[in-house]
Amino acid sequence: MDYLYLDNIDEFVNDQNKIVTYKWLSLTLGVHVNTAKQMLYHYLQQKRNEGSGTPLHATYLVSGKCVENGSKCHKVSVVREDKLNAVKAKMDVTISVHVYSVQRAELKDSSPLYNTDYDAVKENIKNCNKYSTIRCAAAVPMSSAEVQRAQEMALVPPAGKEISKTGLNENTSATPKPSAKQPAGIMGMFASKNASKSQESSKEVKTEQKDDSSLVETSKSKTASKANPMSNLFGKSAQKKADEKPNKSVKEETAASSTAPAIMEQSQTSPKSKIDIKDEQSKVSSALKVESKDTRNKTKRPEVVDSDDEKMESQQKKRRRIKKPQPDSSDDEVVPDSPPVPNVQTPSPKKQVKREPVSHQEVSITNNTLTEKGYVSESYSESEEEPEPNSQAKDSSSLKQSFGKREEEKKEKREKKTSTANKPTKQPSIMGFFQKK
Amino acid sequence: MATLTRQDLNFGQVVADILCEFLEVAIHLILYVREIYPSGIFQKRKKYNVPVQMSCHPELNQYIQDTLHCVKPLIQKNEAEKVVMVIMDKEHHPVERFVFEISQPPLLSISSETLLSHVEQLLRAMILKISVCDAVLDNNPPGCTFTLLVHTREAATRNMEKVQVIKDFPWIVADEQEVHMEEAKLIPLKTMTSDILKMQLYVEERTQKN
Repeated sequence: MDYLYLDNIDEFVNDQNKIVTYKWLSLTLGVHVNTAKQMLYHYLQQKRNEGSGTPLHATYLVSGKCVENGSKCHKVSVVREDKLNAVKAKMDVTISVHVYSVQRAELKDSSPLYNTDYDAVKENIKNCNKYSTIRCAAAVPMSSAEVQRAQEMALVPPAGKEISKTGLNENTSATPKPSAKQPAGIMGMFASKNASKSQESSKEVKTEQKDDSSLVETSKSKTASKANPMSNLFGKSAQKKADEKPNKSVKEETAASSTAPAIMEQSQTSPKSKIDIKDEQSKVSSALKVESKDTRNKTKRPEVVDSDDEKMESQQKKRRRIKKPQPDSSDDEVVPDSPPVPNVQTPSPKKQVKREPVSHQEVSITNNTLTEKGYVSESYSESEEEPEPNSQAKDSSSLKQSFGKREEEKKEKREKKTSTANKPTKQPSIMGFFQKK
Repeated sequence: MATLTRQDLNFGQVVADILCEFLEVAIHLILYVREIYPSGIFQKRKKYNVPVQMSCHPELNQYIQDTLHCVKPLIQKNEAEKVVMVIMDKEHHPVERFVFEISQPPLLSISSETLLSHVEQLLRAMILKISVCDAVLDNNPPGCTFTLLVHTREAATRNMEKVQVIKDFPWIVADEQEVHMEEAKLIPLKTMTSDILKMQLYVEERTQKN
């Protein structure tokens, strides 16, 4: 009776080849998240003891305190099992470790973890924290009047921002090189190659950058990108990076101690200031400051909104706070977990997205300022013609925390690559391309 | 709400666009997951609201885009039966074939507002399945390459040969050895059914890979 869940998990993992995260399991079985974590742990133990059959892989969520670059920080990471001990050793105090997911496949990156939880959370969007311990009495959905007000307020600042943005753009377009240096490694090669082209496409880029926090290509850039996909792709990304730097530096200052969870494969971390992540990162990093003082009225950005999602509910979630640190893994939720408890905030209620371009706006409140992201979606759910030119895997804020360290990833991969490049290569054209570095 | 028929070319274009975008993402993801190319050339991007790995190598991207650009008119007219991504070893013998079987219902009806978000959800599930496919597949030998094949219904390719959709990007009839694989195991990955599109993804894997 009590152990039926083991069979359930077995079926999910082995028969259906699913990734079973604790959050997904808690939503699927209707149990508290801590129970779900225990279930996964128990299942892992049992399977490992049996020593039979297919190998299982697991990921863990580790949180603890460490000192990075002289400043103390609270780090939360999702790590693969083989890196677990290394990450734990790096921390001064390990506050909590628990199983994050169990799957058959050895995951190369963390995207499937997010993907697994996305739909489960989206379906339960109104009560996705039903089974979690993170609570805030003040977090109630906004009434439609409040939503309207927020929407109006959001319209005002971007007008002012636009002017300053174009000014910023002038500077950055004149000197694409510094921004091209930002993407280290392979991306740098692509970006610098197209730096000259970015001059021509800067006009299109400018119009897009009206909205400094837009994550998805707008229709303008879409047409531009159709005309010159490659250069626009990299020209825009280079521009965006330059644009994000000032944002990021501002946000970095506001956070005294920041959570800087590592991506899965990496046990070593560097502070978030080094990260060259797109757009939302900077807001996300500030959004996820666990120890920051001004946590009361912050809300997380909506991450799981579909581009043509008609549901306009909005929720405010309190920022997570550290509770009493406990060495055990079975304590309450003190740290943000990667797949978010999303706040779906879309200001205009009941705006139907029909077969016409509609501006779809999300309002988020971070750092007590309103920022608006908008993007234009056409009649179908994909709001871009091509695959994302910008690496904007913004998704959940904590998700980005966990594995947003693209630059490091790139660095590490570049190191790996140069080491393999010394061997006789099977694909000389590819390796020769990269060996230019 | 509205009922559109196959003759409504605009809708056919919509389906073709959706499908080609999906195929592009799927192909990049397969290249990443099966380690055909070093993972350093891949960059995380967002599609269907989830992170996916896409390559940044311009020539590789161009090849994939050109291929799908040529496939798109076939899909619009519902002449493409399968799009196959064949992974071959050094001797150009296929080791794996990722087969996307596509079919479109003759009478397309957009019956609900949430149709496209539903389709997006289904495509997301397919992406997820591709990400974990290496649990059910054996490792490939090193030095693999890939190619894309399209199986068409009837004689649609005759038109393709006459009209070069993209200049200097000719299509040729595939070699027999690329199309057929001996000792193949069939591993189904995912099926999706929606009002506008039905797709099935399975992998044919050679039993002996080395």
